[in-house]
Amino acid sequence: MRISSNTMFESTVSAMTQQQSQMLHTQQQIATGKKLITPSDDPLAAARALDVTHSAAVNAQYSVNRGAAKDSLTIAEGILGSITELMLNIRDTATSAGAPSNTDGTRQAVANSLQSSLQQLVGFANSQDGVGNYMFAGFQTKTPPFVDTSAGTSYFGDDGQRLVQVSSSQQMEISNNGADLFMRIKNGNGSFLTQANTANTGTGVASLGSVTTPALLTGNNYSVTFSVAAGVTTYSVNNTTTGLPVAGMTAQPYVSGQAISFDGLKFDVKGVPANGDVFSVAPSTNQSVFSTIQDMIDTLKAPVLGGNMAQLTAGMAQGLAQLDAALQNVTNVRATMGLRLNELDATQAAGDNLDLNLQKTLSQLQDTDYAKAITDLTMQQTTLQAAQKSFTSVANLSLFSYL
Amino acid sequence: MTSNIFSSAVSGMNAAQIGLATTQHNITNANTPGFTRQQVMIGARPGDLSGAGFVGQGVDVAGVKRIYSDFLTTQVRQEQSQSSYLNTYNTAIQQINNLFADPAAGVAPAMQSFFDAANGVASSPESIPARQTFLGAAQSAVNRFHDLDRRLTDIAAGVNQQITSSVSSINTYSRQIAALNVTIKRAIATGNGNMPNDLLDQRDQIINQLNNEIKVTVQNQSDGTVDVAIGTGQTLVIAEQAMSLGMQKSASDPTKLEVAYQSLTGPVAIQQSSLQGGNLGAYIAFRDQNLEPARVELGRVAMGLADAVNQQNKLGQDLNGALGASLFSDITPRVTANYNNTGTALLAATVSNLSAVTASDYQLNFDGANYSVTRLSDNTVTSLGATLSAASVVDGVTFNLASGTMAAGDSFIVNPTANGARDIALVTSDPRNIAAAAPIRATAGLSNLGSGRVSNGVVTATLPLNVNLQAPVSITFTSPTTFDVVGAGTGNPTGLTYPTATGSLSYNGWTVQLTGTPATGDVFNVATNTSATGDSRNALLMAALQTQNNLSNGTASLQSTYSQLVFDVGAKTQELGITSQAQTTMAAQTLAAQQSVSGVNLDEEAANLLLYQHAYQAAAKAMQIANTMFDSLLAIKQ
Repeated sequence: MRISSNTMFESTVSAMTQQQSQMLHTQQQIATGKKLITPSDDPLAAARALDVTHSAAVNAQYSVNRGAAKDSLTIAEGILGSITELMLNIRDTATSAGAPSNTDGTRQAVANSLQSSLQQLVGFANSQDGVGNYMFAGFQTKTPPFVDTSAGTSYFGDDGQRLVQVSSSQQMEISNNGADLFMRIKNGNGSFLTQANTANTGTGVASLGSVTTPALLTGNNYSVTFSVAAGVTTYSVNNTTTGLPVAGMTAQPYVSGQAISFDGLKFDVKGVPANGDVFSVAPSTNQSVFSTIQDMIDTLKAPVLGGNMAQLTAGMAQGLAQLDAALQNVTNVRATMGLRLNELDATQAAGDNLDLNLQKTLSQLQDTDYAKAITDLTMQQTTLQAAQKSFTSVANLSLFSYL
Repeated sequence: MTSNIFSSAVSGMNAAQIGLATTQHNITNANTPGFTRQQVMIGARPGDLSGAGFVGQGVDVAGVKRIYSDFLTTQVRQEQSQSSYLNTYNTAIQQINNLFADPAAGVAPAMQSFFDAANGVASSPESIPARQTFLGAAQSAVNRFHDLDRRLTDIAAGVNQQITSSVSSINTYSRQIAALNVTIKRAIATGNGNMPNDLLDQRDQIINQLNNEIKVTVQNQSDGTVDVAIGTGQTLVIAEQAMSLGMQKSASDPTKLEVAYQSLTGPVAIQQSSLQGGNLGAYIAFRDQNLEPARVELGRVAMGLADAVNQQNKLGQDLNGALGASLFSDITPRVTANYNNTGTALLAATVSNLSAVTASDYQLNFDGANYSVTRLSDNTVTSLGATLSAASVVDGVTFNLASGTMAAGDSFIVNPTANGARDIALVTSDPRNIAAAAPIRATAGLSNLGSGRVSNGVVTATLPLNVNLQAPVSITFTSPTTFDVVGAGTGNPTGLTYPTATGSLSYNGWTVQLTGTPATGDVFNVATNTSATGDSRNALLMAALQTQNNLSNGTASLQSTYSQLVFDVGAKTQELGITSQAQTTMAAQTLAAQQSVSGVNLDEEAANLLLYQHAYQAAAKAMQIANTMFDSLLAIKQ
């Protein structure tokens, strides 16, 4: 076949140009560590790499969110720890204050100490996080949630619970509002409250009582009225909600410490009730831990008249029981926080795992296979060198050299 | 006899001289583009009749011809037109290939930062620095969209420039061809039928160059002239007459430049897609099939972001306690009136449902009685009846008249998202305007006796918000299993059964979950979420927009739409890379085939030089011999 001299030059040049551009591409792959220099190298992989990068970034964001959640929970958990400790102290102090050997003066001193503890507790409840947000205020993080009013320490926050997206499918609560923590604590034994009438003159003290048959509970109010006639003490139970006497509970003989039970509940009265003394039984209502402590302080401050310790004993017993309930409540919340922190660790591990997988996929999609790239480069180099060498020798062949 | 030898020798020397000159011409033009090697055509002179028979008279030079194959030349032309088309297309699309996926210039990282910042706000809604970061990230995403859009617009301007200069090249070439037609015709006439080889080469070369700009068809005429046509038969050169192309604004879409044919009666619009092959075809295809669609698609992503964030923000409550407003400006579709419209109407198009919007252009037509909208991507026609109203919606776009009336035959082109990336803008600089909180909150009464709980509540209504959304509503349990709802807008229903069938309760555009065992007299309140600095319910929803399928009728997220854009451009570039390389090889092979016939081989010419040199020397020798013979003859006389 006849070959035009130009064709020989042109085809060699174009072949070498092509090889050089391939070499440049391989060289770029090696230098950048990326297999995909531009999306056209592998459009599908490029689009997928973009998606995977996006997933990895979202996953990384969840990890940041988990960090924020962990910080909030850790701070809150720490404060709840301090609160627990403080409440245990209050409990110890209050327990010892109720001893009959104490004088009014001692009790006054204890009451003062409890008063300062109460202030401290309110302080804890108004705790702020590192950036000045009230932690137990619900959504209203810029206003102190617990404020002393004429009606005692009141809650001005709300039920808001802050959530953080900790994984693609899970939002975690990172705050607990003050209402749930400190305000919604049932008084009495959690189901009903026994209280001695303030006008009682006897030494009868009602126990906290307990529920015997939950199904029989009515949620009504009752009064237990004692009468002493001819040295015999009897009591009658009236349902004050319906205004009717409770069946079978009229003029029952009173024995100190013996259970008084009706409508699924029971309690006892110890001591010597006077004629006309009345004890009321009412369903438990919510009472804040602050009000419980304040009640105990008030009880301790009240002087014991004529050696009748009934008010003191009953008040302190009730206060301690409610303090225990409050303590239990705080402990429960604290335990929930611990569980959430555990869960965060587990989610974090899962997130790290996912990240590893995503990075692996991403690496497979876009990273240079060095072994292959370097082999390619060597091969391309060899070809180019051969082309150059052969070209110089072929180009030198001309009949004109011999003329 | 001697004179016979003399004249024969002279003819031989002449032929050898012409041969040497032609060989020399070939050698010097070996590198001339478009040159076709020439060959001397020689023939023996018919012999004189003598007693000994016919005695040869020497050699005649019949002419110098081009070694030329019409078939191969046409093939080279076809392949080169296709090759220049693909190469130019490939070079052009490279400009946008890496633009979208580039980590520094692409939109994906900017959108990621934006949603990271949204998560930051969700984690600390009261933090002004977090909100400031959110606005900063939003602004940088906006800038990224603007940058990319400007880059695409710049490229489009560049492409239009290229189209214009390609058109002017085409005009120059067609004038040159027409001029050469004149010269060649005259040369043939004066040359007694001998072909002006070099002029023909020159004309072929210009036709090739024209062919690199746009695919042409060439018709050879018997008088040596050629006719050249493009597209669907528009003649560029006919004999000695050259026509020209020009640029004009498209009638249907005056924002677009079109190539028009300058006929004797004035410019005539050509179907742009008929302009195929060559640089011009490549630029037009790139502009209309890749560049503009990429811009429109980018606009769709930008609008997707702005629209979703705006809607979510409007469902929330900002740090000042007010209901959220738009954070991004509202983006309106691009509306272009047909150049030939005679009515006074101004069309207002608005996006009412971004999820349904496609990247296609839409043409609104008025036939004098009824309006109809054609989706230009697949020519689906939707009839809108005799009047346009707010209910005239096609694919999530509302078509309505802003003012005036339409005349029969008027039309408008509407592209819903073409301006998205250009017009996206942040309309607030106050970090407090980010609506991180929900506008309502539900609270259980502190003195509730039961264990009933109420969730914080969510806004379930879509825009516009229920007017009573923030009206205080109380849910009071009249027994553990029944409750009343009291408050503006609720209709104050009484005696509802608890638990509800769905476990939740919805009024006034909000929904709350009621759980646990409420007691008689328990109260749950839903009210305005005042001073809720720590509430991030709406911010969480905003952050979640990132992974939500808000586009393409709920099948694509922002990210996947963007990935698709990267894929489309990348796939087209890859395809062009492969086909242009293949076509280059193909063109090189065809050229090699053509050159193997018409190209100059220097070795061959060197051999020819020797050949003609020897022929000349031999003829000269013959003359010397004839001279000697003559001398011998004279010597006899002495």
